Amino acid sequence: MEPTPIVELKNLSKTIRGKKIIDDLSLQLYPGQITGFLGPNGAGKTTTIRMMVGLMKKSGGEVVIDGQTLSADFEEALSKVGVIVENPEMYKFMSGYKNLLHFARMQKGVTKERIDEVVKQVGMQNRIHEKVATYSLGMRQRLGLAQALLHRPKFLILDEPTNGLDPAGIREFREYLRLIAKTENVSVFVSSHMLSEIELMCDRIAVIQNGKLVDLRDMSESQEAHYYVEAFPADQTFELLRSLGFKSESVNEGFVIQAEKTQIPELVKALSTAGLELYAIQPHRKTLEDQFLELTGGGQLAETASK
Amino acid sequence: MLKLLQNEWMKLWSKKGTWIMAGLMVVLIIAMAGIMKWSGSLMDDESDWKLSTQSELENDKNSLASGILKGESKRLAEENVQISEYRLANDVAPLNDFSREGMIYNPSVGSIALLLTVIVAAGIVASEFSQGTIKMLLTRPVKRWKIMTSKYLAILLFGVLLMLIGFITTILSAFIFFPSEGGQALAISGGNVVEVSIWSHGLYMLLLSFVNVIITATFAFMIGSVFRSSGMAIGLSLFIYFTGSVIVGLLSRFEIVKYLIFTHMDLTMYESNYVLNDDITLSFSLVVLAVYLVAFLIVSYTVFTKRDITA
Repeated sequence: MEPTPIVELKNLSKTIRGKKIIDDLSLQLYPGQITGFLGPNGAGKTTTIRMMVGLMKKSGGEVVIDGQTLSADFEEALSKVGVIVENPEMYKFMSGYKNLLHFARMQKGVTKERIDEVVKQVGMQNRIHEKVATYSLGMRQRLGLAQALLHRPKFLILDEPTNGLDPAGIREFREYLRLIAKTENVSVFVSSHMLSEIELMCDRIAVIQNGKLVDLRDMSESQEAHYYVEAFPADQTFELLRSLGFKSESVNEGFVIQAEKTQIPELVKALSTAGLELYAIQPHRKTLEDQFLELTGGGQLAETASK
Repeated sequence: MLKLLQNEWMKLWSKKGTWIMAGLMVVLIIAMAGIMKWSGSLMDDESDWKLSTQSELENDKNSLASGILKGESKRLAEENVQISEYRLANDVAPLNDFSREGMIYNPSVGSIALLLTVIVAAGIVASEFSQGTIKMLLTRPVKRWKIMTSKYLAILLFGVLLMLIGFITTILSAFIFFPSEGGQALAISGGNVVEVSIWSHGLYMLLLSFVNVIITATFAFMIGSVFRSSGMAIGLSLFIYFTGSVIVGLLSRFEIVKYLIFTHMDLTMYESNYVLNDDITLSFSLVVLAVYLVAFLIVSYTVFTKRDITA
């Protein structure tokens, strides 16, 4: 049974100066699940996220958060959401604590004790009373996270959260997200251009291109069984694979085929009876990057990587 | 709303610049009093108030007789004549500008408070954009008009505070630098000459100049929130503040000048001897200013609440 979604985008659209930036986008996000949001630059990731948090007005459709429509009941709907938009820009001239106090005052029911609790959770208790201007990027990121968690949101939305973090910082951040998704049953929505990052962090990915949702899949599902076969001569190998009914794709000097584990002994036998010289046969794991480029077309690789 | 106001107030006073501005104001007012004391001692004329009042009276009478005065200017001249005659007949000395009473009677706090309030008003929205904090501020469950209101209230509160600090500093420096010289301020009320307390008149002047503070600061608030640039907001606001009377002078032949904001910004003119335009009165000025104020606020709020945050 499908659980009820915490966030629903219903036919969301955005038109800027006659140009459709987001076109009829529908998406459901569920509690306890981390959903990655991927797309080449200019696909509309940031626009979508900004419409979800009230920074931009939608041109059509609806954003429903925990049963409340964002446009009709802005305050009620947003009170369930924690947001980190890119690098969290805090008031640099104030201490971390005053920043948290500032954002706590904008929510109902965030007590001083809760602030202290969150500060401890993100491990900032030693420096929280120092000015934000003195913080490193990693600390600002943690302060941003603390800010987003103050009001115990049911839904956490993060736009490029790991921008500029070092590998240790990224890892810490990722593990922390997984933890709160699991323990507090929070639904997390992360946009990122770092595919490997998304791959490690997410349960599910949504891919957007030219303002349309082009793919939505569970990560487990995306790891279909693939095998890499390298045999000589190649053209005969290709013929044989085809005659056996495998879909094959030329990769490096061999082929990647879609096959179940149980089919492999059969294949090996077939190859040797045909007198082909088998050099390698091994499980092949398609990375998210391969899949992503397949989906969106390789031409945008440069753009995606350079964001 | 109170919490939002608390937030704005906290942000305001967490900036060093705010403390520097408030300190600067105190220093400037004391320095001005010191300079007044010094220049007053240079003049050193023991002139008789009766002689100067007599010549003032004759001037006013001549102007009235020539018939060039109309409207508000005529009224002011007539009142001055009445007061001067009263002084001479009853032997009531006027206040000396360079005395303790004169300073309190006419405190010059308005223009400094205006300048500093404009700087705060210009930056209070614009700086959220330039710091990038606007994204954090507007993704919290608070409607944008509430945020705008808390910011506007913070500006007004800051303006009031500066006026009070300025007035207190003025009183202190008046007591430190100047001796009491007596004298009595007079005014016309209901056709009769009445005595005016220096304190109530001082506060009244403060109130009149505070209207200018509000108007100019609201203008700066509007420019700052529409163009997201505090520099531009400060520049334009001070431009209209300083060039206003020049523009009124240039356009004085036209009827439209009555409805320009510049004509009305400085309400303290009604307590002086010179009104920029003869066809206007204090209540007319207040109405015109109210219309402008509402227009500025409508523009600020509309732009701010409708804007897509893309930066």
